[in-house]
Amino acid sequence: MTSCCSVFYFRNELAVLQALSSTVQRVQWVFLFIYLAHVYIKAVYCEVMWKSHMFYYLLRFFFFFFFLNLYQDPTASHYRFQDDPYLTPRTASEFKLFSLSQESGRNAAKYIINTYPNFFLKDYAEPHIPCLMPESLQPKVTEVCEAGLRELIHLRKVRSAVDMYDRLLQAGTVVSLELTNNLLDLICFYGDQDPVQGDQAEPEKTAEGVRDDEGRFRKSDSLHRTWRKDNNAERIFHLMPERNERSYGALIRGMVKYGAHSKAFDLYTDMQNNRMAADVHAFNALIAAAPEVRQKYSEKWDLIAEMLKQMNKLGVRPTLLTFNTVLKSLLRCGPLSRALVLQVLGEMKALGIEPSLATYYHILVAFYRQGEWGFIPKNVLIVLLCLQCCSLKDLGLAYRVHSLLNVGDNWKLLGNPSREGFYYGSLFNLVCMMENIGVVLQWYRDLVPSLFYPNSHTMRDLLQALDADNRLDLIPEIWKDVKQLGLATVSGDLAEEVLALMARDEHSPEIQESFANCALAVKAVYGHGEQSQATLDFTASALCNMATILLAAGRTDQAWEILQLFKANNRVPSEKLLDEFLNSAKSGSNSEQAVTLVQMSSSFSLPATARLAQRVEQEFDLSEEQKKCMDQLPFEV
Amino acid sequence: MAVSFGGAGLILANHAVAHMSRTLCAVPRARAIHSTAVCCKHQAARIRVGKGDKPVTYEEAHPPHHIAHRKGWLSQHTSNLDRETGAAERTVEDIFIRRFIFGTFHGLLANELVIKRRGNMLVVCALFTQKIPAYKLYFLIGYTETLLSYFYKCPVKMEVQTVKDKVVYKYL
Repeated sequence: MTSCCSVFYFRNELAVLQALSSTVQRVQWVFLFIYLAHVYIKAVYCEVMWKSHMFYYLLRFFFFFFFLNLYQDPTASHYRFQDDPYLTPRTASEFKLFSLSQESGRNAAKYIINTYPNFFLKDYAEPHIPCLMPESLQPKVTEVCEAGLRELIHLRKVRSAVDMYDRLLQAGTVVSLELTNNLLDLICFYGDQDPVQGDQAEPEKTAEGVRDDEGRFRKSDSLHRTWRKDNNAERIFHLMPERNERSYGALIRGMVKYGAHSKAFDLYTDMQNNRMAADVHAFNALIAAAPEVRQKYSEKWDLIAEMLKQMNKLGVRPTLLTFNTVLKSLLRCGPLSRALVLQVLGEMKALGIEPSLATYYHILVAFYRQGEWGFIPKNVLIVLLCLQCCSLKDLGLAYRVHSLLNVGDNWKLLGNPSREGFYYGSLFNLVCMMENIGVVLQWYRDLVPSLFYPNSHTMRDLLQALDADNRLDLIPEIWKDVKQLGLATVSGDLAEEVLALMARDEHSPEIQESFANCALAVKAVYGHGEQSQATLDFTASALCNMATILLAAGRTDQAWEILQLFKANNRVPSEKLLDEFLNSAKSGSNSEQAVTLVQMSSSFSLPATARLAQRVEQEFDLSEEQKKCMDQLPFEV
Repeated sequence: MAVSFGGAGLILANHAVAHMSRTLCAVPRARAIHSTAVCCKHQAARIRVGKGDKPVTYEEAHPPHHIAHRKGWLSQHTSNLDRETGAAERTVEDIFIRRFIFGTFHGLLANELVIKRRGNMLVVCALFTQKIPAYKLYFLIGYTETLLSYFYKCPVKMEVQTVKDKVVYKYL
C-alpha cells in the first residue's frame, strides 16, 4: 500500500531523475542534490514511511550517480601512477611506457620470488593469504602412479603428463576412464604442446594457442598452432579400451580449436555410428566449425541448421554459448546473416535465454555499415557503438552510450588503453562537430588528459570547433596543450593550422599580444629543436603567418628577424607580406627598412618588385644613396 | 689518565721472578685491559659543525631531541601505545625496509624514508631525486612493491615524490 503511494508521489521525480542522469555533465549533480533534498522534504511532509523502497531506490540512484561521477578527478592522471609532476605521463606513449615498465617490475619481482622461494616462506599473515606465497610449479610426486598423473594434469604440464601416461601403460596399470578423459581434455585444450609461460610470450598474443578472434583474417605467426597429423591426443584416443561421450567431445573440441574442422565432422559421424549422443559443448564446437567445411553461404547455413536440429532431436538444451556461436558463424554466411540474425534472437527469447553483450555485439556487426574508419573494432562493444553513433551523427545516442559506461562494471568493457583512446577520440570528434563551444570545452577539460590523450586529428577538430564558434582567443592555451602532448613535432599540419588561424583575422590588442607570444612559441618548434627531437622545416606559409601575427601585434623587430629567416631557409615570402612590411615601415617612417625590403624582393625575383619600388619612391623621402641603390636594382619593366 | 695493569707490573714481576725463575718454568704472558674516564657527550644522529662546506638536509641537521618539536617521526605505527605488542618486530621490519630501498634505489634517496602502517597496509613514503628517467623509476617501484608484499605478506604501497636535487637546509 505504501509502496503504491510512494510510486504515485514520486512518479514525476523519477522521470526528472532519469532525464538528468542521462547526461554526464558534472554541474548537473548540484541540481541533483538540491532536487533530492526537495524530494526528501516532500517525503517527510507526505508522511511516506522510511522503508518505502522507492525512496531507497532514489537514494541509491543518487549515490551511484554522485559518487561514480565524482570518482573521476579530471586533473589527475590514472590512479596507477604516482602523484608527482615528474612521474605523471603527458602523452599516450608515456602512459603506455610507464604502465608497462611498472608491470615489468612486478614480473621481475615475481620471477625472483618463484626462483628463490625459500626466502618467502615465513608466514606473518594470521589468516593465511595464499596469493602472497611463492608459486610452486614443480610436481611433488615423482614416482610413476596415477596420483602423479593427476598432479601433472593439475599443473598443466602437457608433455610430462603424456609421458607419465605412456609409462603407466607400459607398466601395465589400467588408467581409469575418468583420468584418461582428463588427460585428453588437457591435451586437446593446449593443442598437444606445453602452455607458453607468461614471460616468454608477449601479452598481445594470447598465450594458449592463437585462436582467431574473428574469422576475418588469420594472423600467420609462429605461435599459431595447428592440429598435427600424428597427434598424441588421437594416439591415446585409439589406445583407449573404451571411450565415452566425453572422450569424443574432448577430441572434437580440440580439433575445432586448432583448425582440423573436417576431421571433427568425421569424428562426429563416428560418434553417431556408435550411437553416442554428443553433449552441448561438442555441438558448440561443431557449429563453430561449420562455416569452414562448406563453401557456399547457403550450404553453411544448412549445416548449422542441421546441427541445431540434431541437438533438438537428442534433447540437448542449447545455452547462451550455443547461440553466440551460431551468430558468430552466421557472420561468415554473407548476406544471409541480416535476416537470420534476428531470427536467432527471437529463438533465444523463446527459450528464455538472456542475451549477453557478445550477442548484441554479433548482431551489431551483422548490421554495421562501414563508415569512414573502414574497419570493425574487434570484440569491443562500446567502441563499436560509438562508431555507429559517429557514422550516424547522432549525439543523443552517443550520450546514452557514454552513460552506459557509468553503470556498474562497464568501464572494463573499454579494453586496453589504445581502444579506450580510440573510443574517446571518436566521442570527442562527434561532440566537436555537433555541440557548441561551451560544451566542447567542458568535455575537453573533463577528458584530457586524465582519461585520454588526443592525437593530432582530434586537436584539429577542436581547432575547427573553436573557429566555428569564434573563440580563437583560446588558441594559445590549446597550443600549450599540443606541445605538452608531444603532437607539435609529429607533423607540421597542426603548427601550420594554428598559425593560419591566428594570422587570418584582426583581433583586439590583448589577443594580438597573446597570439604573438604563441607565434614565438610555435617558431621554437621549427628550426633547430632541443635535444635531438624531430624538428620541422620552415614552410613559406608558416613564416608568412608568423610575420603577419608579429606585425599585427606591433613587434616589428622580431618580425624583421623572421624576414631574414626566409633567405636562410630558401623560402619565398608572399607579396601580401611584403606589402604589410612596407606599411609598418611607413608607420615607423623608416626608409632604410623600405629600401631593404625592395632589395630583398628583387633578390627573390618577385614580380611585385617594380610595384614595391614605385611605392617606396612615392611614399618615402629617400636620401641620395638610397635612390642610387634603388636605381641599381635590376627591374623588370 | 690511563692505568695499565699489564706493562709495568709485568716488567717488575719479570725482574723479580726472572731472578729466581731461571731454574723454574717461564711466566705466562697476560693480556691487558685499558680503560678511560667517562666522556659525558651525546653523539647520536648529530652532525658536528665543520668547515662549512658540507651540505646537510633538514632531517640530518636536527638532532633527536628536536623530534616532536621541529621534526616528525620517520616510522609510524601503533605498537608503542599502551598494551600494544610487537614494537621490536616493527622496528626490525623498518630497518630491513630502509636498507632494501636504499639498495634498490641506489643513489636516488634524497631523504630518509617515512614508513607508515595503516591497518594491514605498509605505506613507504620516499623522496627521490630525478637522476634516472621516470620509466626506470616505475620499474623499481613496481618491483619493490611486489617483492615487499610477498615478503611481509601484506599490501605494500609506495608513495613517491621526486625532487631535482637533495634539498639543502644548511652547510655545516
